[in-house]
Amino acid sequence: MPSFFKKKPPKDKKTAKEQKKPAGSSPLSVVLDENLAVIKDKTGNSTDIIIRRLNHSPRFKTEAAIVYLKGLTDSQTIQEIVIESLMKSDPVETRPSSMQEMIEGYLPLGNMEPVKDWETLFQALMSGHTIIFADGYSEAMSTSTEGGERRSIEEPSTQRAIRGSREGFTESIETNISMVRRIIQNPNLWTETMTIGRVTKTKVTIMYVKGIARDDIIEELRSRLEKIDIDGVLESGYIEQYIEDQAITAFPTMYHSERPDVVAGNLLEGRFALFVNGSPFVLLAPVVFVQFFQSIEDYTERFYISTALRFLRVLIFFISLIGPATYIAATTFHQEMIPTQLLVAIAAQRESVPFPSFVEALIMEVTFEILREAGIRMPKAIGSAISIVGALVIGQAAVQAGVVSPAMVIIVAITAIASFATPSFGIAISVRLLRFLFMISAATFGFFGMILGFIILVVHLSGLRSFGVPYLSPLAPFVPADINDTFVRGPLWADRKRPAFMSGNNQTRQGEDTGRPQPDQSRGMVTKNEGDDQ
Amino acid sequence: MEKVKITPYQLFALILLFELGSALLVAIGIEAKQDAWIVILLGMIGGLLLFFVFYRLYCFYPDCLPTEYIQKIMGKGLGKSVAFLYMMYNVYVAARVLRDFGAMLLTFAYIETPLFIANTLMILVIVYSVSKGIEVLARTGELFLVFIYFLAGSGVLLVLFSGVVDLHNLQPVLENGWKPIVKATVKETIYFPFGELIVFSMIMPYLRDSKKIRNVGIIGVIVSGISLMLVMVFNLSILGVNLTARSQFPLLSTIQTIHVADFLERLDVYFMIALIVGGFFKISIFLYAAVIGTANICNIKPASRLTYPLGLVVLFISMTMASNFPEHLKEGIRVVPLLLHLPFQIIFPLLLLGLAFWKNRKKTN
Repeated sequence: MPSFFKKKPPKDKKTAKEQKKPAGSSPLSVVLDENLAVIKDKTGNSTDIIIRRLNHSPRFKTEAAIVYLKGLTDSQTIQEIVIESLMKSDPVETRPSSMQEMIEGYLPLGNMEPVKDWETLFQALMSGHTIIFADGYSEAMSTSTEGGERRSIEEPSTQRAIRGSREGFTESIETNISMVRRIIQNPNLWTETMTIGRVTKTKVTIMYVKGIARDDIIEELRSRLEKIDIDGVLESGYIEQYIEDQAITAFPTMYHSERPDVVAGNLLEGRFALFVNGSPFVLLAPVVFVQFFQSIEDYTERFYISTALRFLRVLIFFISLIGPATYIAATTFHQEMIPTQLLVAIAAQRESVPFPSFVEALIMEVTFEILREAGIRMPKAIGSAISIVGALVIGQAAVQAGVVSPAMVIIVAITAIASFATPSFGIAISVRLLRFLFMISAATFGFFGMILGFIILVVHLSGLRSFGVPYLSPLAPFVPADINDTFVRGPLWADRKRPAFMSGNNQTRQGEDTGRPQPDQSRGMVTKNEGDDQ
Repeated sequence: MEKVKITPYQLFALILLFELGSALLVAIGIEAKQDAWIVILLGMIGGLLLFFVFYRLYCFYPDCLPTEYIQKIMGKGLGKSVAFLYMMYNVYVAARVLRDFGAMLLTFAYIETPLFIANTLMILVIVYSVSKGIEVLARTGELFLVFIYFLAGSGVLLVLFSGVVDLHNLQPVLENGWKPIVKATVKETIYFPFGELIVFSMIMPYLRDSKKIRNVGIIGVIVSGISLMLVMVFNLSILGVNLTARSQFPLLSTIQTIHVADFLERLDVYFMIALIVGGFFKISIFLYAAVIGTANICNIKPASRLTYPLGLVVLFISMTMASNFPEHLKEGIRVVPLLLHLPFQIIFPLLLLGLAFWKNRKKTN
């Protein structure tokens, strides 16, 4: 009996290992018909798999066949290059020893690899490669002929910029990578691709600038990606949720962007980018809190304009976070803090309203959230109906009916516009959620509750990390050198260093001489002396 | 010890917020009438001297928490009990500040709310923050320091624009000579707020750059002393001596004199933020010191496991330490400085320093 127990566990392990190994990883057969039968069998004889037999190819002394997926491949390449060169090439006298040898000299295509087992074969086939079989060889050739219909490069719809590139990422990972490569033309721009998703086998590519990005962060990223074992990756958001530092938080610890220029800018600061096939949103990390208040245009405008805009965004953040809460706290607990005339006006408005201001605010905020949700889901053609219903029926009629006070409508409207104006959707959506918590705390404990809520918020943010980088840096911990790209933006020529936490040892990004531009006055263009005389 | 490090600037922020914590809100040194601001400056000098005592002790054992080096200096048994007394002192002072804070909040804004509710909410937030560790607390401090000074700056501007500052209220300087000033210093300001810096000897070992502790401490004490003095000067010159002395919260009365453009008035929220944020940091730092100290004495790992129980203890003590606010105040003025602050802030540290000198000299010989 003891021996029975001892032997059993290893046996289990073995079977588990065997089960883990996909069934298709067995080697290919030598007989062409057998191979084709396996393909038909494994794919359930799917109609979009095209098997083209080449019975009288002079190139092959025997029978051959090409297999590809309609729609994923470029049919022009297949017809004009693959089939034509296979059928028209000169006959050979001796039969080559391997497929590779036979085809290499004749097929004018860039990427060609011999395939020996079914697993890699199916993966290649499913990603749009064309597989060439020939009778008598236990291997096949996979040639890259990806193509088919894809969305073309369009202007990004989520991160618009008035001044800046008009390119936005598409769903194709190759296109997306090439768009960044076009901006950073440097061999140090490294990429690494892996497949994630047991069923979807989605391509995920890490991109970083070697020498700027911190190696330990990249290593950490790799290990986090390798741990992911799910059946499907449909969007970069799936990956994001598996590799975040902290899942229990309302705040995004990774940035996503639709713009190649944003990705390039972040790569240059030492971050890494994560491309996921099928998603136009590229993930960026490690990120810090202040980054969500920045826009690509900040760097193209002069610094004082950008700084003013960034302060505006901080104001927007606070309005959308505590706007309704402040109103509730002031009208419920701290009436004495409202200036008398305003207090009289608010009291007169609220006279006919049957609800306490918390309920009033809650009704309006929830209504607004419903409107917003409806606006996203509705077809564009009837989108204007939403604004009519929202503005006229709910806004005006509710006030006239005496259900809500006009002041409340104003507060909710300002809050709504403020939350739309937040440059990053990731932060706007978390603020939307936190706003309700602040409203509750204001309704129960007035400003005391709000300040306590604010302290908790700051403590929570201070404790967050994104790939080991403190979320509130460079504000806390305070890094004086990095402060000129936070809520303020110093002039570009003064921004000599990369963010200290991201970029390890390679921090200098400008030469010492690139200081403030001061053109020589000797060219006769600057009339300083005349001015002095006056 | 936790394996965390804080930067010199973070320590500076914590010292400043800690010092301003509750001292900002009450009239310290008002016994000396219009010379209260001189009392604060003298207290600051006393605070600097005390800080040097704590710092010298730290220099003897830079890698140890005080709870450890007390045991090294005094021997295992005695040292452990003294260290434990210190932790009890920390818990008690945390509870005192919590009670102060709760009572103030209720008297000025939430008259009908029970004290227990206010204190519970506060201690919950504090426990949450302390359980996150000193690093997070320090970062929070960094941000709130800027926030508080921004508020203070705008407050000063508004007060000046309101045109209520009358520096004549500060005259005559030294009306009754130095005697009442020194008396007030020795009786009050040297312990509160400056002597309370003793709690930072629990935090000093966490500093990344141990050479900078001295400078950071000196600058922190001086900046906080000058800030407190400026607040006192504003209080006195706006309200006058009588009103400052009689007002429960001179700073609140000062803020309420703001009247700009017929719109900016009754900015009580300024006072409330100063009250809550200051109270938060003061209690947090005491509680944190108590938590890591107790964990160190009793060998509990990780230390943050003690946060919730000790927080509960602080809450309980804060509720039961006095049956009403006048009693609490009387204890605070008559009993605590003499029986608690004097031995724990001055006598014990001096004793320890003497022993440490003696022990280390013996070692070198």
